[in-house]
Amino acid sequence: MVSLTDNAPATQQPRPRRRQKGSGLNRVLMGILLVICTIWLIVPFGMAILWSLVDPDTGWNYPDVLPPSLSLARWVEVWTTTALPDALRNSYLLAPTVAIITLILATPTAYCFARYDFPGKGLAQVATLLPLVVPGFVLAIFFSSLIFNLGIYSRFLSILIAHCVLFLPYAIRIMTVAFENVQQDLIDAARDLGASPWARIRVAFLPALAPGILASLIIVFIQSIEEFAIAFIVGAPNFVTIPSILYSYLGYNFVRPNAAVVSLVLVVPNVLLMLGLERLLKSANPAQAGVKG
Amino acid sequence: MSWRRTATILLLLMPGLGLILIMIGSVFYVAVMQSFGYFNLVGEDVFSLEHWRKVLDSKAFNRAFQYSAYIATVSAIGSVALAYPIAIWLRRPFRGSLVVSALLKAPLFVPGLVAAFLFINIVAYHGILNQLFIWLGFIDEPIRMQNDRGAWGVVFLQLWKNMPFALLLLSGAVQGISDEVLDAARDLGAGAWDRFRKVIAPLSVSAMQAALIIIFIGAAGDFAFQVTAGPTNVQSMSQLMVFLKDSFGRWNQAAVVGVCLMGLALGGSLTLALISRLLLRGGRW
Repeated sequence: MVSLTDNAPATQQPRPRRRQKGSGLNRVLMGILLVICTIWLIVPFGMAILWSLVDPDTGWNYPDVLPPSLSLARWVEVWTTTALPDALRNSYLLAPTVAIITLILATPTAYCFARYDFPGKGLAQVATLLPLVVPGFVLAIFFSSLIFNLGIYSRFLSILIAHCVLFLPYAIRIMTVAFENVQQDLIDAARDLGASPWARIRVAFLPALAPGILASLIIVFIQSIEEFAIAFIVGAPNFVTIPSILYSYLGYNFVRPNAAVVSLVLVVPNVLLMLGLERLLKSANPAQAGVKG
Repeated sequence: MSWRRTATILLLLMPGLGLILIMIGSVFYVAVMQSFGYFNLVGEDVFSLEHWRKVLDSKAFNRAFQYSAYIATVSAIGSVALAYPIAIWLRRPFRGSLVVSALLKAPLFVPGLVAAFLFINIVAYHGILNQLFIWLGFIDEPIRMQNDRGAWGVVFLQLWKNMPFALLLLSGAVQGISDEVLDAARDLGAGAWDRFRKVIAPLSVSAMQAALIIIFIGAAGDFAFQVTAGPTNVQSMSQLMVFLKDSFGRWNQAAVVGVCLMGLALGGSLTLALISRLLLRGGRW
């Protein structure tokens, strides 16, 4: 998603500041918005945290406004009695593998989009978005049908392949922008000074590509951890990931405190990574890094 | 172009674009062929229109199709309608505008299942909303809001999750409109609505179309929101597809639903995009 922002605020020219009209109105709107955001984010997540800390001995029943006592018992229980450790291992093994392979697969295509002109390039770029426009469950179900027909029985491998294809559009887009930021002057200068191809990559390409590489790794990592349709359909019933465990607590055997624990396990690391990414993208602002030479 | 250059380009495109085309192409092929009786996991492959007839005749399918089309249309139009005023408000930076836009975009990073869980916590029978209403004296006893029949819960979740995405796309487009253009419109006597209708909307129509298309497709294929917060008397297309596959392994019928869902996603989203273009630009491209 973040890839879509790259053409937005960075292109803003600084304008001479003039006095903001209606700054009073803005303050009122801000006030309303902060209240809405409290309802929008703080209350839902606050409830989830409270539910995950409910003491199983006392429970949290109507009409108590807050749980009568808090404990970490649910966390311990979910960790020791459910498949959550398995799911965590699967998800956190799968996601970095997907992130690295996707980056490797995306790089040549991104290089081609950024540095070659050819007939049908626009169409080719639109075609890379295909995985994003096929409904997730259609992709999941008929991909599973395809791999059964091909006789591939490794769940890990199957989900790995599907995730790589599904998240290639993000990696290709981010890396295309990154390659566009590589300055031709630098490549030429390095060549003129007799740098070997490897040295040219190191001095001219890598510094400009580094933020894009990291951004691509993080985005794909997060997407892979959160992905549900393929992990659920292809992985069922033996290969569990964090979202499929969460789904099992939301379905017929609805266990609210357990679902709260798993929700937080799923969201919190990703929010931290996302904040890191935000800083990274700010430092990689093309307006500061200089434009293509 | 020399053959060498062509070969280089094709070779470079192979691992990325090539893989995407092969994989999406084969998934599409498998779905279509399976709907006509091929690619069976058990039994012989025989061409048959029987699966199409069975599915198209079933009441469950027709309800699911209409329901998914309805949810997708309302979500796409609703998200864009909510995001526009906010994008225009945030067009020029002011103190705190970055914080506001970050807070508004936060739901983008909350996975669908977690969002659904947070939502049903709030609207549960003894949830915080019911308690608040009772405390305020609006109602005497809790009302049943979870899994409501009108699918308001699902629509709310779709808007919660998709409005930030529409905002992301529209902010970029709206910020790209120069002050001079808007000032000129104002000088010519255009009111706020006219400035939106005749200047801002036509100039940001591409971003709007992209938002409509992507949100429509996502909402038409929804599974997570529908299963956790949706009405229990109707299934979404994805839910029906999973149900058919899981109950007695009716893969061929699931394939028919899958092909129809792809048709709905493509047809519906393009129709919305076309209508918005016609309304705002009067058919000029």
